[in-house]
Amino acid sequence: MTTPDSALAYRRIFHHEEHVMGTVVTLDLFDESMPPKWTLTPIVEEAIGVLHAADEMFSTWKDTSCISRIRRGELSLDDAPVEISIVLERCRKARETSRGWFDPWAMPGGFDPTGLVKGWAAQQSLNVLQRADVKGAIVNAAGDIASFGGPQMDQRFRIGIADPAHPQQLACVVETPGAIATSGTYERGAHLIDPHSGLPATRAASATVVGTDLSLADALATALVIAGKQALTMFNDLSDYEGLVIADDGTFHMSPGFPIAKL
Amino acid sequence: MKVTVSKAKITKVSIAAIDDGGNPRSVSIDQYAIPILQQEALRAQSANIQGVSGASYTSAGFAQSLQSALSLLGL
Repeated sequence: MTTPDSALAYRRIFHHEEHVMGTVVTLDLFDESMPPKWTLTPIVEEAIGVLHAADEMFSTWKDTSCISRIRRGELSLDDAPVEISIVLERCRKARETSRGWFDPWAMPGGFDPTGLVKGWAAQQSLNVLQRADVKGAIVNAAGDIASFGGPQMDQRFRIGIADPAHPQQLACVVETPGAIATSGTYERGAHLIDPHSGLPATRAASATVVGTDLSLADALATALVIAGKQALTMFNDLSDYEGLVIADDGTFHMSPGFPIAKL
Repeated sequence: MKVTVSKAKITKVSIAAIDDGGNPRSVSIDQYAIPILQQEALRAQSANIQGVSGASYTSAGFAQSLQSALSLLGL
């Protein structure tokens, strides 16, 4: 067990829970001392606003969202806001990197970037928090986490991975390089679609991907839980990203550089 | 959820039964998971973590998540 030196550890100076995107997103800021409220408040409000804007634009549950209008053929990609083309480009890259295991174009009902958007939104929100001039920040979008800095100088944030068999217990602890995303069906049932069959399917109990950007990590975690441990080879030629698969039998499988820490 | 903190260590986490609108997990959560969550939040605190990564929960599921319990601890 590592215990932080309390003299060096930063304090959690801010915590917020926002109901958005059908879930709760938590924002935490760490520093030695509390910055003045007048500098912090507008930045935090903007970071929260980013999440709601992404929800309005990308929710497939809202009939009026841009993505719903695109799926119905009412809005062309040329007329859509710039965020749509940014996410589209991320989706293309994630499809290529995952060797087709993440494929928003193969989803029933038309183009569906849901597997990447929550991570993208949390990363955008974190990027706003960079301006807060604090030592560390964490945006946790229902288990997909974007962060910078750490709990004390020269230390990375430690993130517990939920045990898929007992989600309120930890399976292991990871020292995050910034972004960490986990996919599985144990919270909301069989909602993950195998792009090769168009049917719900997973080949692992959960999959976790760490890296530098949460939109790609989120998409790759989705791909990895659908594809199973065989797809860990995708990390061979992908620098800055690593993967962990917890198989249905509870065994751990990970790419060589996965930053697992002692529980 | 109610957390009792003494000298920056949690000594007790108590969670009221939650009506989460028909989530199939809710029945087992009320019966079994709340005591587990109390125990696991304490254990997670000793693991010195600042967050939990896992499959996405719904708004209703958040209240019963380890992340939610940890948030209350001020980690």
